[in-house]
Amino acid sequence: MKQKKVRFLVGSLLIVGAIGYLITMGISNTSQYFFTVDELMSQKVSFAGTGLKVKGKVVNGSIQRDPNDYLDVKFFIEENSASLKVAYQGVTPDMFIDGGEVVVEGTLGKDGIFHANTLLTSCPSKYEAEKEAGKMHPGTLPQADKYQKPGLNKAEVLPKTTI
Amino acid sequence: MNDIGEFTLLVALATALYGCVAYVMSARGNRIDLYLSADKTPFIVWACIAISSICLWKAFLTDDFSLQYVWAYSNRELDTFYKVSSFWGGQKGSLLFWTLLLSTYMLVVYFQNRSKNLRVVPYAMAIMLAILVFFLFLINFSTNPFERIPLPPEDGRGLNPLLQNYWMVIHPPTLYLGYVGFTVPFAFAVAALISKNLDDGWIRMTRKWTLISWFFLCMGNLFGASWAYVELGWGGYWAWDPVENAAFMPLLIATAFLHSVMIQEKKDMMKVWNMSLILLTFAMTIFGTFITRSGLIQSVHTFDEATLGYYFLAFLFVIIVACVALIILRLPLLKSANELDSFLSRESSFLFNNLVLLGIAFATFWGTIFPIISEAVRGVKITVGPPFYNQVNVPIGLALLALIGIGPVIAWRRATLSNLKKNFLKPLIAAIVAAVVLYPFIPLGSRTEIYTYTTFVLCVFVLASIGTEFYKGTVSRMGLHEESVVGALATVTWRNKRRYGGYIVHIGVVLIFAGIAGSQAYGTHTEKHLQPGESFEIRGYTIKYEKLIAVEATNIKTRIIAQLAVERDGRRYWTGHPEKEFYKGQNQPVSEVDVLSTWKEDLYMILADFREDESATIKVYVNPMVSWMWTGGWIIAFGTMISMWPDRLEQRRRLDRVRKQEQLFPAPAQE
Repeated sequence: MKQKKVRFLVGSLLIVGAIGYLITMGISNTSQYFFTVDELMSQKVSFAGTGLKVKGKVVNGSIQRDPNDYLDVKFFIEENSASLKVAYQGVTPDMFIDGGEVVVEGTLGKDGIFHANTLLTSCPSKYEAEKEAGKMHPGTLPQADKYQKPGLNKAEVLPKTTI
Repeated sequence: MNDIGEFTLLVALATALYGCVAYVMSARGNRIDLYLSADKTPFIVWACIAISSICLWKAFLTDDFSLQYVWAYSNRELDTFYKVSSFWGGQKGSLLFWTLLLSTYMLVVYFQNRSKNLRVVPYAMAIMLAILVFFLFLINFSTNPFERIPLPPEDGRGLNPLLQNYWMVIHPPTLYLGYVGFTVPFAFAVAALISKNLDDGWIRMTRKWTLISWFFLCMGNLFGASWAYVELGWGGYWAWDPVENAAFMPLLIATAFLHSVMIQEKKDMMKVWNMSLILLTFAMTIFGTFITRSGLIQSVHTFDEATLGYYFLAFLFVIIVACVALIILRLPLLKSANELDSFLSRESSFLFNNLVLLGIAFATFWGTIFPIISEAVRGVKITVGPPFYNQVNVPIGLALLALIGIGPVIAWRRATLSNLKKNFLKPLIAAIVAAVVLYPFIPLGSRTEIYTYTTFVLCVFVLASIGTEFYKGTVSRMGLHEESVVGALATVTWRNKRRYGGYIVHIGVVLIFAGIAGSQAYGTHTEKHLQPGESFEIRGYTIKYEKLIAVEATNIKTRIIAQLAVERDGRRYWTGHPEKEFYKGQNQPVSEVDVLSTWKEDLYMILADFREDESATIKVYVNPMVSWMWTGGWIIAFGTMISMWPDRLEQRRRLDRVRKQEQLFPAPAQE
């Protein structure tokens, strides 16, 4: 009787141990430091080369797109008067706008430019009532500035074929 | 009308408070007068909350912008359909909606169990009322949906376009139905602990509730995944976002609970374990609410008001402390009558399945709260993302998949070598055949590819083992009765709804596993900036950008649509229309993707950007096997329906039991 109990205990512990091992390994292999821009700037140790996640607001008017390659974007993010230059390659999310809050993931280069491989925008208005009610983000521009609707091809309403 | 809504909320709070106290006192002091009085409260509380909800709905439908909440989530032009769903679009309304669901559940429980089992039910009602008191307190004093704006504005701010999607109408209520539903088994579990009725009565009484809640939670997760897939336009369906995790963890623990209660019913074991699991499930639903509403963890879903989270944290703390204390207090009564016989048995496969499910839940939990812990311990915020969850949960998930195949066919008590051989020979052969057949087609270079290969082989193994179960039942039925194959299969399933319904759910789960493996391992995507007339290739499809179309759809919505011709083997195959929609009053456009879905793969197109010269950036994903997951979801729904279907035999057994119980504890005389 007792022996059986011990065996079950050992079996269960093995499973628990294996899961624990996976978690520890997972954490040490994949974790990233998460800073706001000012926190990153005030770090004494250099984080150049390591994987980082940085949060900040897009500096007004700093978004630059390469005229030849539309997918190449450079911009600054700031937080508490510290700012950081970010280079990103790829499609930017709908909510990537001046003054919007973004989280970039990537590495900090020796040149001080942050090379982002992911660009996330936090949903500014999804559930937030108060923030938008009185105080808009200082740099939020009216819609038309970024997207000019082409005046061509005014066609009848298309049937949508989404499945 | 708004005053009525506000007032009924206060009445509901007062009544719930009274009912809670009266129920407990009547049960402790055996006072029938108090019991009769308390027994009126559930209906009154429900009626008050329902009236209040109707008032809020009316405010939405009549564009009453004197309510801050209506102003913030609606405007005059909003579709009626979305005006109805705006009710739960924000923090305040979603709490009221939660309360409405909880009180409705409570009312159903009340009518179901009236004058049944008077030892346990009053306590269960008291606990549900106590939980309602908490929510009603928040609604009344912290986030009142009937808060006024002194000078009502002309028009509302409008609902976020991302939420203007039919999934928005389906997904949150489904998830809430699941979340809230676990309150019922939890209340009965605690009631059983308090009243010392610690047989499996509470489990049987709430089995249907557990199943229904599990079902809604499962569907809610899947709906959330498909919402993200069609609406957010990033080509994926699951991002291990804290809020997604918050809905996923209770599902895992509830799944463990659903399995381990079978052991208690059959073998009278694992009583403490089951108590802990249902407590944990409920605690996880509250924890999930805490994450969503505290803003403590970076997430895409956060609500704004940060203070509310701490009420939930305090509530969570109280629940956990009280329940752990209760369980410890009742430990002597929770002794198991039996113990496990052998490693190789159905019982221990259930035990391992529980450990594995809890393992996934814990890994997910740890990853979710890791930023907070690391900040508290080391002073720096360290986050983990999808790579962490994939690295940890995929191997554990594979072990789970293997157990799904082993569980149903391994013998109870002790599996001997001969019955192992008898039960496992066919599934193993099927798995080996699958492994050999798939080998030449699947690359095995990286770890992901090996995992995917293993997943497919295990899926075949599980399907074969479930198939042999159905086969065995059908054949033995056909041997005894003259029935066709289909007839026998149907009868066997219908006669054992719970068992075969469960197997059908397992088939759905296997499809989901396969879908995830396929889409994660073999997906590809590309993005191109194109002039009209230019084209590019992806996975054998040629995608040609034809033109850009602007449509004034309504007076608040403008659609910019890209027309993309998809060619395959030189002939036109399909025309895709991904688009961006611009809403009046919202400062960001919404991408509407277009998807061509087949059982083999999805072709998923996004209009990422466009410029005045009509050039556009198009992003295309090829996601293999995604539709398998949605199919799996429907199969799960079907299987759950079968196992939930009222069973005459079981009802008769239950009636007998109730009768027996009433002889033991005669009900107090009623009027």
